[in-house]
Amino acid sequence: MSALLGRLFLASLLRRRLATALSLLAIALGVALGLAVQLIHAAALDEFGRGMRLIAGEADLQLIGPREGFDESIYPVLALRPEVAEASPLLVVEARLPGREDSLEILGVDLFRIARVQPGLLPLASRAGDEDGRFAALQPHNVFLSAEARTRLGEPQLRSDGQSAPPAIREGMLWVQSGVRSFALQVAGELPGATGRLAVMDLGAAQQHFDRVGVLSRIDLKLAEGVSPDAARMALAPLLPPGLALRVPEAAASEVGALSRAYRVNLTMLAAIALITGGFLVFSTQLLSVARRRREFALLRALGLERRELLRGLLAEGAVVGLAGGVLGVVLGHGLAMAAFQMVGGDLGAGFFRGTRPQLHFDGMLIVGYLFLGVAAGVAGTWLPAREASRVAPARALKAGEAAHAGLPQARGRPAVGLSLLALAAMACLMPPVEGIPVGGYAAVACLLTAAVLLLPQLARALLPLLGRGQGVSWRLAHARLSATPAQAVVAGAGVIASVALASAMAIMVSSFRVSVDDWLTQVLPADLYVRASSSSGSGYLDDAALARIASVPGVASVDTTRLVNLRVSDEEPLFSVLARPVRGNWGLPLIAGSTARPAASDVPPAWISEAAADRLRIGVGDRLRLPLGGQMREFVVAGIWRDYARQHGAALIASEDYVALTGDRRINDAAIEVTPGAAVGQVAAALRAAFGAEHVTIALPGEIRAISLEIFDRTFLITYLMEAVTIMIGLFGVATTSAALATTREGEFGMLRHLGFTRSDVGRLIAMEGALTTGLGVVSGLLAGGAIAWILIEIINRQSFHWSMELAVPWAALASFAIGLVLLAALVARLAGARAMRRSAVLAVKADW
Amino acid sequence: MLSVQSLRKTLPGAPPRPLFDDLMLEVAEGECVAIVGESGTGKSTLLNCIAGLEPVDGGRIVIGGQRIDDLDDDALARLRRGAFGFVFQAFHILPHLSLVQNVALPLWLLKVAETEARVKARELLVRIGLGERADDAPHTLSGGELQRVAIARALVHAPRVVLADEPTGNLDPGRATEVLDLLLAQIREQGAAGVLVTHSRAAARRADRVLELAAGGLVDITGRA
Amino acid sequence: MRTARLGWGGMAYLCRMVQRARQLSWAAASVGALMMVFTGPAVGQIAAPAAPYPAVVPDQPLQFPQDFGAHPDYRTEWWYITGWLRDEVGVERGFQLTFFRVRTRIGEDNPSRFAPRQLVLAHAAVADPATGRLRHAERAARAYPGLAEAVEGRTAVRVGDWFLAGGEAALAGYRSRIEAEDFGFELAFDPGRAPVLNGSAGFSQKAPDPLNASYYYSRPQLKVSGTLKLDGRTLAVTGHAWLDHEWSSEILPEGARGWDWIGINLHDGGSLMLFQMRDGEGRAMWAAGTLADARGEARRLRPDEVRFEPLRYWQSPRTGARYPVEWRLHLADGRILHLAPLMDDQELDSRASTGAVYWEGAVRLREASSDGQERETGQGYLEMTGYADRLRM
Repeated sequence: MSALLGRLFLASLLRRRLATALSLLAIALGVALGLAVQLIHAAALDEFGRGMRLIAGEADLQLIGPREGFDESIYPVLALRPEVAEASPLLVVEARLPGREDSLEILGVDLFRIARVQPGLLPLASRAGDEDGRFAALQPHNVFLSAEARTRLGEPQLRSDGQSAPPAIREGMLWVQSGVRSFALQVAGELPGATGRLAVMDLGAAQQHFDRVGVLSRIDLKLAEGVSPDAARMALAPLLPPGLALRVPEAAASEVGALSRAYRVNLTMLAAIALITGGFLVFSTQLLSVARRRREFALLRALGLERRELLRGLLAEGAVVGLAGGVLGVVLGHGLAMAAFQMVGGDLGAGFFRGTRPQLHFDGMLIVGYLFLGVAAGVAGTWLPAREASRVAPARALKAGEAAHAGLPQARGRPAVGLSLLALAAMACLMPPVEGIPVGGYAAVACLLTAAVLLLPQLARALLPLLGRGQGVSWRLAHARLSATPAQAVVAGAGVIASVALASAMAIMVSSFRVSVDDWLTQVLPADLYVRASSSSGSGYLDDAALARIASVPGVASVDTTRLVNLRVSDEEPLFSVLARPVRGNWGLPLIAGSTARPAASDVPPAWISEAAADRLRIGVGDRLRLPLGGQMREFVVAGIWRDYARQHGAALIASEDYVALTGDRRINDAAIEVTPGAAVGQVAAALRAAFGAEHVTIALPGEIRAISLEIFDRTFLITYLMEAVTIMIGLFGVATTSAALATTREGEFGMLRHLGFTRSDVGRLIAMEGALTTGLGVVSGLLAGGAIAWILIEIINRQSFHWSMELAVPWAALASFAIGLVLLAALVARLAGARAMRRSAVLAVKADW
Repeated sequence: MLSVQSLRKTLPGAPPRPLFDDLMLEVAEGECVAIVGESGTGKSTLLNCIAGLEPVDGGRIVIGGQRIDDLDDDALARLRRGAFGFVFQAFHILPHLSLVQNVALPLWLLKVAETEARVKARELLVRIGLGERADDAPHTLSGGELQRVAIARALVHAPRVVLADEPTGNLDPGRATEVLDLLLAQIREQGAAGVLVTHSRAAARRADRVLELAAGGLVDITGRA
Repeated sequence: MRTARLGWGGMAYLCRMVQRARQLSWAAASVGALMMVFTGPAVGQIAAPAAPYPAVVPDQPLQFPQDFGAHPDYRTEWWYITGWLRDEVGVERGFQLTFFRVRTRIGEDNPSRFAPRQLVLAHAAVADPATGRLRHAERAARAYPGLAEAVEGRTAVRVGDWFLAGGEAALAGYRSRIEAEDFGFELAFDPGRAPVLNGSAGFSQKAPDPLNASYYYSRPQLKVSGTLKLDGRTLAVTGHAWLDHEWSSEILPEGARGWDWIGINLHDGGSLMLFQMRDGEGRAMWAAGTLADARGEARRLRPDEVRFEPLRYWQSPRTGARYPVEWRLHLADGRILHLAPLMDDQELDSRASTGAVYWEGAVRLREASSDGQERETGQGYLEMTGYADRLRM
């Protein structure tokens, strides 16, 4: 069998090098994309987890709460509990670095506590031998930096506006910002046990410097011997004020994992479609190859080859292609992941892991898994053709004249299967998400794709008569050929359908999304100018004095403020955003339900919640919303639901006066400024910069914010565009291999046509037209499926994964030019691939009698 | 109608093998010439040279007064559309076209109007006795019927020369005679010059002249075959 | 006189954290050296200059119970209990418990409760002849209300769940509890008499320069009862102990290498405290003591009235340091006392954690009677520092 295997089957792969190479490449690309997505994500998560472990140290439990911190009064309560051996309080400050766009995470620690709980954070004073180093870690002006922080912050930063920001460390001092004022800390040493970009300073000093006296961000607990984390949670949970939660440190990493999971599943699905397209390609080439070798197999069967051996041999061909593709894909995948780390970092463009610097790890199991997927794609693609070949009756196949077209699939089609798949897709759409993953939506997409492939013959029958006859001989021949054997269109077009459906669906979804985001941005940015001291959890903020200064700047007509805090509504849910804004007449809230008016008769203050919040908490207008604010559970009534593309995990907007009354927190993150009519916005901005110092605040025009937001949006989808491009390329490979293979099986036909007076270019035109027609059918089918998939993406997958709705906006022009471009490209590809058939001597071609 | 003068062709290889040396052939309108010979003497090659499908090393090929051996590939292709009809041993009927479409194929190439092409093709199919089945698909036909369709295709555009390479090679003897007679009758009726390559002496005998290809030249063996 | 122990133990704890890879001499770790840090230039804009440490001056009478409590303005302060415990089967063991308070002069203007204005540290040890060496443990924390603090007005010091409390009135007792990995104890102390003031009415000079001084009183002959936990076994114990309470700002003289100290409860109900400060050559720079009778009447021993004579050395197999574990003590009135350890190895070697190495152990005092026979006249504690040359931290 092995000699047979080598000479008959595997050698056949070498004979059709182009087809083999393209199938192999297709599988390799599918494997590579999937693996790269997984590798990048795993590495990023791993790096994030490592950072978490470093900060969590040997803690058994962590007390977490709002990102802005919580009242420290719970600290002595926990520290004195018998379940707790050691409690290490931390204040995490995302310090704004004046003038720079990056920030630095400064951990305020109690040196006496971290030694036993988080030894990795222990600082090392740099001036060894100098007595000054003695109590360095307690000195309020001293800060200790990780090696990476020291390197990065010692360098100038190239800002997004193209200017260079100064190093944050100058002459041994680290310049940071609190509120709208900057000050310097002494870089007193390093953190030998820390990785990543991190700084440590005394907790008391951090509270004072960053105006967070009385506030902690986290308490890490080491439990007494024999106390399990679960038991401790049970015992301690009743002591906790609302909004605080105890959990094992690993939960933080898994929370981040969950945050990005929907996005990752999305990308993995794209990779899977690439791989499936690769499988289709194997199917096409194997089917044609089997058809061509029909008599060879008949002869072998007549000579005594067992049916099973034939089947096995053919499957081995597929497996070899799959394995080779898998190996190439694994190598390529690691390369891609490495390149991605270099270029976009570990967040795949989505911003989940900003600031981490992941390392590529080799995971044997993962590699084997993806190799297996490659082999599976190869074998699955070969399965049908192989079964077909092994069932052929040798006597009939051997008979001359039966010849040319036996073996190619006849126009059977499977309309019943196709239609039931469509019904199945519709039903899958009704399924609720499973753990935040829209399983039903993805299943519906898979059903739709398969149905589109299976229904292609029906589509061809319906469409071809509409195309008309035309006058050119080539057109007539191509048309006649496709009309007679629409199943061949399936062979060539399956890959095209999958990739076009995917690409058009993504295009429609992204276009709808982008248009909706654009509208949304216009709506939520009604002011003329925006002033921001730092992002939500950063150390920069505006206070009443700063607001007064803003208001006094000539040209400022009115100032609107936003306070953004991030809370925990429950132990399991990720952070929930609360925005506090003055509630006035027209305040740019993109409502989709309810009204902006303050409900007249209500005993509790109103809240307007985002779509995601409504989805996640399953509440609507008029329902009650409970938020842990100021250490207590507060009740609100839902007055409206608004569209929010910025916060995937839910947000609620409440009136500033309610917020201040409940929390006493008067800090402001953003101020939105309307200028007096006639005042120049640029001059007002300049005056504001002068008032605060340009390095302390970011002043942006709505247009700039919009441009930046859309740029981030586009970057997020960049990787999906790339993956689509690869899938379309694989689809075109399908056109190429099919054309090449068909061209060889039809050498006789072409030879005859040359005798009848076809010039070489006539033959080329014929092949190109056939390629174009087949692709055109695939494109039409793909576009139909793509439209349906776009609907599923928008209404099911996005809703369930990210909880946001959008208006459908079909990019007609782009889709049309894409479709036409693809058909033309397919014609070109087919013609190039069929070139060999054109070269072949017409004389020899007609001689061959099969 | 067809005149081949001093044709020379050498097959490449080491050493080169001379195939034709000063070969002469004249075929008149309405005349059918059969060429016989041992395998490998170049019967088919001669046909291909005449059709301009294979280059020659010397001599002239003139059809209806037009010299064709110095035309380029595309010009030859265009010439073939009108001037030649072909019948192949393996029929080469396109399976995805109906019989009438297969027959009309040369007319399509000549850009004859659709209706006219169809009428002409049907006419031809009637002449070869398959008028009833004009719209059938080829796979419903037997080998002999397919070759009759091929004959119709070879003649539908009234070519000046009809070249047939073992037209009965794939047919059983009874069918062969019938098909051959049809071919010859149609050639004669249209006044074309017919060249028939065959290894069957019986078939050759039905032609007007029988030439044997040997030692690079043609020898008339009419009546001796 | 236990300042340097704070240096060794408590400060070294911090030092290890900030300067782990460093070799440090005991002197460098001492409070005197720390002074330079605490008064160093304030770099950040929030570090306003802190008030200076008050000087320790003579003729400032101690007030009780007020002075049982903490004196947070002074640089360092400790409550130091040493004593002997006897379990129900008569086995004798030594124990030691110390709470330190340190004013850092850091963050005194900081409203944060976490500002490290005051540090509280604690050491505990048990000398069990059956073990043959000390079991010891320590705690350290910044002062934080309810968690780690030394309050004023009465004795109440704690670090986490370790505490010493009492002294609400002149004759009130004390309670303490500590819990370490392999030992712990919960003890009550009954003084039964007023404090014994050391030096000149509580002003205790440490060196020829009166600048180096502390406020210092002792509570000898404390009656002890409670429980001792050893490796999970809980033993009911009784015994006697000695409490020192001392606060100061500037204690260690320049050129001092180490010191030797004893606090002995005499069987006749009296008490004896002696110390000597040694220079680099091991010569006594200063010595003093207090001898009290059973009623608490104290007699101050001046430098020329006290002489320490080493009798027998023991070398630590761990650190290589040689300690004079047996002493002969010469008093001016002609009495000659013999000091012998409960066991030789009472070296406190915490190089693995705090880096401190010194000898702190239970001792018996013997005195030759008129018949020439030596008999035990007291039990107490001996402390010897500055014998291990250098520390690896």
